[in-house]
Amino acid sequence: MQLDAFRAALDAWLDEHQHDLVPDHAGVGSLDEQMAHLSKVKRLAFDAGWMRWGWPEAVGGLGGSTLLRAYLGEALTARDLVEPGIYSMTEVLAPTMIDYAPAELAAAMVPRLLRGDETWCQGFSEPDTGSNLASLSCRAARTDAGWRVTGQKVWTSLAQYSQRCVLLTRTGTPESAHKGITALFVDMDSPGITVRPIETMHGAPEFSEVFFDGVLVPFDRTLGEEGQGWSVAMDLLPFERSTALWHRAAYLHRRLEQLLGAAPAGSLDAADLGEVTQILYAFRARSRATQHRLDAGERLGPETSIDKVLVATAEQAVYDLVADALPAAVTIGDDPASERWRTGFLYSRAATIYGGSAEIQRNIIARRLLDLGNDR
Amino acid sequence: MIDGADLELFTRSLRHATDSSTGAALDAALDDLGWPDALADDPRAAVSILFGLQGGANATSSALDHVLLAALAPLTPFAPLELGGSPVAPATAIPPASNPLELGGNPVAPATAIPPSSGVGVGAGVGVVLPALGGWHPPGDLRGGRLAVAGLGTAGLAHRATAIVVARAGDKTVAVAVPTASLTLRAVQGVDPELGLIEVTADGLIVAVDPDADPLTGWTNAVALAQVALGHELVGASRTMLDLARIHALERVQFGRPISAFQAVRHRLAETLVAIEMAEALLDAAWLDQSPQTAAMAKALAGRGARTAARHCQQVLAGIGFTTEHPLHRYVRRILVLDQLYGAAQSLTAALGTELIATRQLPPLLPL
Ligand SMILES: Cc1cc2nc3c(=O)[nH]c(=O)nc-3n(C[C@H](O)[C@H](O)[C@H](O)COP(=O)(O)OP(=O)(O)OC[C@H]3O[C@@H](n4cnc5c(N)ncnc54)[C@H](O)[C@@H]3O)c2cc1C
Repeated sequence: MQLDAFRAALDAWLDEHQHDLVPDHAGVGSLDEQMAHLSKVKRLAFDAGWMRWGWPEAVGGLGGSTLLRAYLGEALTARDLVEPGIYSMTEVLAPTMIDYAPAELAAAMVPRLLRGDETWCQGFSEPDTGSNLASLSCRAARTDAGWRVTGQKVWTSLAQYSQRCVLLTRTGTPESAHKGITALFVDMDSPGITVRPIETMHGAPEFSEVFFDGVLVPFDRTLGEEGQGWSVAMDLLPFERSTALWHRAAYLHRRLEQLLGAAPAGSLDAADLGEVTQILYAFRARSRATQHRLDAGERLGPETSIDKVLVATAEQAVYDLVADALPAAVTIGDDPASERWRTGFLYSRAATIYGGSAEIQRNIIARRLLDLGNDR
Repeated sequence: MIDGADLELFTRSLRHATDSSTGAALDAALDDLGWPDALADDPRAAVSILFGLQGGANATSSALDHVLLAALAPLTPFAPLELGGSPVAPATAIPPASNPLELGGNPVAPATAIPPSSGVGVGAGVGVVLPALGGWHPPGDLRGGRLAVAGLGTAGLAHRATAIVVARAGDKTVAVAVPTASLTLRAVQGVDPELGLIEVTADGLIVAVDPDADPLTGWTNAVALAQVALGHELVGASRTMLDLARIHALERVQFGRPISAFQAVRHRLAETLVAIEMAEALLDAAWLDQSPQTAAMAKALAGRGARTAARHCQQVLAGIGFTTEHPLHRYVRRILVLDQLYGAAQSLTAALGTELIATRQLPPLLPL
């Protein structure tokens, strides 16, 4: 299927099924409502075939260019049918499974994620391990029965909804740093796992603490080889900075468009608005080029850190403009529309934190793109 | 389309030309290399590569005049202008409608009498008057048969017999060809004397314009092309500034280590690269979507990005970068002026915002 044909057919399908696809809830809705709605949209899109395009046939896809799934996410987001953050988790985790899981496991599991039957999460961060990912200490010990996992993860997005987790564990010595890390694919209903949702600033308990108390994980749930977890993580990050960002561009465009519609006369500063628009369009142009590189079979690498800096810059710029132009919505409004602006504003503050902070991205750019050598 | 090995060779030849010559010598080199033909065959490659290199080498040329003439020629009420290499556009090809008749009330030689240019290099014979500093509106204003001009020109303009002045005439935009001698030219020194910019003015130039002449439709396109070309030049200059600062950071040792080890220094350079890539992404998009709005946004980002690059690179180069012994100052000077041509970052951004507020509609999106 070619992109143009896909676009036309998908747009027609979305028009036709608009009624089934729009959320029932007013405004942002609770996270429970958003998650239930997301599953419904994914299932409808999967059963109609859309959600399968751009994924390999081996994992239940229909093949074709990755641009197809980039466009699907764009179209769903631009029509406000899904929240891009929770929708795009698929773009981050499914490629990792395809590249690193045993073939049968990927074939069995990925379709469940695509169809919205399951939610997966990414267990990287720990209480003492944020930016310095290589220092993680959640331990996986080899036993006759499989890996025994003991430790804690934190800020694990959607863990409380998840059936599976892509988990980074320490299998080497505590000093082994990035060499002693192994990635596991863990069933969240395994005995010994406790999930405790955490309230966040923007109102939705988006992430959780996850405790592992001697959790048994079969060896065939190892992603890649023992000790290869760092590569799994490093290969996952460019995905986090490619298709998911293209979806985010569509979301930010939608919000800026809505701001133009909603802002009362005299409330928008022309120079600020002009600059925000330029930044957003530049981010989108950059992300589009990245999508085309992915489609051409290029391996994405540290240059996606530029995309990540741009998305964070664009998102905060759009919402800073919102805060200036719609101050009542952000600060004192209690109606659904105000809540939506406020939630968006607050969530935008995290754009420079998750997925590698703004500073970490600049470190990568300096080290890998500018070749400035070691920073000590 | 120029591609594959041809593209590589083309780029290498242009790099050699911009590295080893500037001004009239670069014009001659471009002519020899067939750059004007390339401009007709593959405008994107010709413009993006040459202007990027020219900016990177701090060189000057008449390439911008070429781009503008190419953009205006098929659409202007006068005969299409031949670009460099070929004979100078004969003045007789300019219909009487746009002939300059008198200068300041005194009769001047009719257009048919314009002597062939003695100028050298590409585009000899005809130059284009650029908009005034910071702006992108036509430099001319035509009322009651009298033309006022307030604009700029590239270094070669003084050697051209004919200058094309695009002017507002009521609610129309027209192109008028005038003898360059009828304009007042001032060789600008300013912040960047090496650029050789010319300030162009005229007042009360009497010209006859056929009221039924077709209005000029190529101006918007010419502005967009000029903005993209200048955007590439700014990006080229920014990349060189970044290179200079990067090399310095790796070599300069303080507190017992290269300053490139200090995160404050690293982050300034990373910021610079982000600003550059951001502008470049939108320049590329402008070639794809051919939208004047995208071109204007790209120019604004290239101008702002170059100012960012200059600020960070100057800081990293510190003392040595503040001297004329180091090449940085040339680029700092150049980008200050280039930012002001065909719309400065500041003016373009404010205008974009004003337009969006008026229409309540975002610019069109380039589809995936
Ligand atoms: C909304 C949200 C969702 C998230 N979802 C997930 C998830 O699903 N899975 C998951 O594993 N994690 C998730 N995280 C966690 C996220 O990955 C971490 O917050 C992030 O990596 C930063 O770690 P930290 O918060 O411990 O900050 P720290 O690493 O402690 O950093 C604190 C500050 O110091 C700066 N800093 C740290 N190191 C350096 C350095 N070398 N140079 C310069 N500055 C430095 C940082 O930039 C930051 O400003 C999420 C976070 C948020 C906010």
